[in-house]
Amino acid sequence: MKLNNIQSGDNITELLKTDLNKGFRLLVEKYSQKLYWHIRRLVILHEDADDALQNTFINVWKSIGSFRSESSLYTWLYTIATNEALAIINKRKRNAAVSIDDMSSYFANSQEGSTWFDGDEAQLKLQNAILQLPEKQRIVFNLKYFDEMTYVEMSKVLKTSEGALKASYHHAVKKIEKILVSD
Amino acid sequence: MMKKSDNIPEKNPFKVPDNYFEEVNRKIISATTGIDKEVKVVSIYSRFRTSLLIAASVAGLILLSFAAIKILTPVRPYSQLSEVLKEMSPDSYINDIDLQPLEEDASSLVLSEEGPDVSKKDIIDYLLNENVEINDIYAQL
Repeated sequence: MKLNNIQSGDNITELLKTDLNKGFRLLVEKYSQKLYWHIRRLVILHEDADDALQNTFINVWKSIGSFRSESSLYTWLYTIATNEALAIINKRKRNAAVSIDDMSSYFANSQEGSTWFDGDEAQLKLQNAILQLPEKQRIVFNLKYFDEMTYVEMSKVLKTSEGALKASYHHAVKKIEKILVSD
Repeated sequence: MMKKSDNIPEKNPFKVPDNYFEEVNRKIISATTGIDKEVKVVSIYSRFRTSLLIAASVAGLILLSFAAIKILTPVRPYSQLSEVLKEMSPDSYINDIDLQPLEEDASSLVLSEEGPDVSKKDIIDYLLNENVEINDIYAQL
């Protein structure tokens, strides 16, 4: 999977040089779903994830001319997507009326919950446990557990050393297991 | 190490609207590649550079020609002005007046009485400096 990401990234990088529009369309088609789910797992709400995803690709388009061919396209996309997701979360924090610290109560009491969340109780427990993690740990856990990203790629996305990321993931797992066992 | 198979189903608990990804991809492409990046990058200057240079050259030539005409064509406002002033000056007005009859008549009036020794010219100059109308002087005489 890792090799495929790099190889396909290189092919699209080459196409972006020769036919920008076609290369960008291919980029969107290939990565929009992966980036959407990465964002969605952080922001939870579909509407917010939709906004962040579109903003991500608009920012990618704006800076596509200065994209360095030697950098990994894949990690660059995830960096922008992560930043957009965090921007949405920070904006939501400033609006005290919207709080998603407890998904159980949020999804039980809102239209959003019944419409866009289809998980059983076990899934809901896991998502609630992940929500209890500090923000950086959440991101590390999601990228490792759901996106199966390597620590090498993750260090480029989050501008953090591999050692720190490994430690962060280890702590995240311990915390989640403790929460799941205690419930 | 937490493995995906540990008591947690693989199923993704989040849902999206039907055909969401087709729609959002279309929106993104429309909002991005729909704009002509090359047109945005090219400035007006580089686009019309040749025309601007020609226009600037023509404007420069016109200015130079105008300046040359102004320099080469002598203009003597002071001489013109002096001619105007001459026409307006009391001296020229006086020059147009026939003073001889005035001198003769004035002397008969003034010299009949004892008084300071004044010349005929002095009398006429005095009358004119007092802005006495010439016609009035003639009427008195």
